[in-house]
Amino acid sequence: MLKLMRGELYRLLHKKSMYIYFGALAVTYALVVYVRSGGFSAQSVVSDAMNFFNFLPALAGGFLFAALYTDDLNSKNLIALVGFGVSKTKIVVTRFILMALLSALVFALVPLFHGMLYTLLGWAPAQVAWTTIYAASLKYFLMTVAFAALAGIVVYGLQRTTFSMVLYILLAFNVVSGLITVVLKTFAPNLSNYLMASISDRIMLAAMGSGSLVTPIVLYVAYVACAGALSVLAFHKKEMEF
Amino acid sequence: MTQAILRTQDLTKKYGEFTALDKVSLNLGEGDIYGLVGRNGAGKTTLFKCVMGLASPTSGTITIHAGKTHLSAARKKMGFMINPSFFSYLKARENLEYLRRVKGLKDTGEVKRLLKLVELDGVKKPFKAFSLGMKQRLGIAGALLGSPSLVVLDEPINGLDPQGIIDMRGVIKNVHAQTGTTFIISSHILSELDLVATQFGFIDHGVLLQEISRRDLHEHTKKSLVIEVDQADRALVALESLNVRDVSVDGNRLTLATALDRCPEIARALVESGVALFDLHRQETTLEEYFMRLVGGDHNA
Repeated sequence: MLKLMRGELYRLLHKKSMYIYFGALAVTYALVVYVRSGGFSAQSVVSDAMNFFNFLPALAGGFLFAALYTDDLNSKNLIALVGFGVSKTKIVVTRFILMALLSALVFALVPLFHGMLYTLLGWAPAQVAWTTIYAASLKYFLMTVAFAALAGIVVYGLQRTTFSMVLYILLAFNVVSGLITVVLKTFAPNLSNYLMASISDRIMLAAMGSGSLVTPIVLYVAYVACAGALSVLAFHKKEMEF
Repeated sequence: MTQAILRTQDLTKKYGEFTALDKVSLNLGEGDIYGLVGRNGAGKTTLFKCVMGLASPTSGTITIHAGKTHLSAARKKMGFMINPSFFSYLKARENLEYLRRVKGLKDTGEVKRLLKLVELDGVKKPFKAFSLGMKQRLGIAGALLGSPSLVVLDEPINGLDPQGIIDMRGVIKNVHAQTGTTFIISSHILSELDLVATQFGFIDHGVLLQEISRRDLHEHTKKSLVIEVDQADRALVALESLNVRDVSVDGNRLTLATALDRCPEIARALVESGVALFDLHRQETTLEEYFMRLVGGDHNA
């Protein structure tokens, strides 16, 4: 599995569009913060983080998902890997680990970048603000990884780039969870606590010192593990598309 | 008889009611260049997909290296190309470097060596800007990465221009001569495979119709002179007087494998010896004709 990870990291580091994309994203972020800076208040650094980070599962996670998952389909690399004897389970697990690692890197750097911008503009975050900002980043990190795991089922089960990318984006923009919430409110209101948005919210609150961390973490791990297991199952059942 | 490096036994693959492979029993000897010949849709790619683990056989077995290692472990020591599949944004060297890392190969110089072999060492543009010939050449390089003992190539000359075909043939022959690598190559262009293959398998409608060595195939397709007479024994004597000895007799029909350019002389000798000559013509079966007779069709191979 380490060999595969080494290969994947090599490939991603040589993907020029990744540098361009994240560079453009950082510049856009800085511009938006600068434009808003005229109306800053003491709460802006936290409230803006909450608002901006909301888009990161789609904007940052979406790129990572495409680079890690759908590039494989576009280039027919899955065929090469399976043909070279790499097990399907290894492929799924490696992709998931890399998605988690790269997302962790992005969601660890973004709060720093955010704090740095506000500091430059004279609104340096206080200690408690940093905690909230990182807790918010944790929430969206967890959502990003979970959405990738869920969309991964479609990647390996259908082996269709468009379907999997559309599903990821719908998940990342909370379209799917919004629809499910509406349905659940009518038929089973209690079940909405088990949606990813709610679970990650509870983890964020626990990280900020409110509520237990154990239950939502267990639920989260179960969520992701089930999605991973379904991906592996789907991949084993589906023959390689040529 | 060389040791079998790849063997399939009654390999069958069905997609619903459609049988893509029907009890295919193939034997590939170590060091062979095996040409798998069949029309489009004959089952060549499906067979390769099963061999490479990209499709699960409905029934039958696949044995690689006489079953000494598990199939998935054996596949790690194989190279293959079924449509060149590389990352479009990476250059030739980067794509091979990716594969080298995935395969866990230590030799960092191998990528450079292979790029030189397929003449892509100076190419700086990304894979998406490659011509079809360049893609095929990179595919071959990818298949040869790690010096595999068995290389599977699906239609490696498909879409190549004449120079590309010559280059591809050269690469295969070169590697085979230098390393003794076993190749199994599919194509529907029999004449092209004939220039590299040492063994042939003919497949049609998922059925492996025949496995034949290059030598035997050429025995079946070589030029001959066919003579029909009223008295074969007298004709034989007449031919003997002309020093023509390599003659096969089937009733009153004689087939000469030599002296093809001596038709007037042979006809005169036969007539002068009192033999009634009914027919004398040159016969040549092309490889394509042989294949078409085998599959019993009239489409191009």
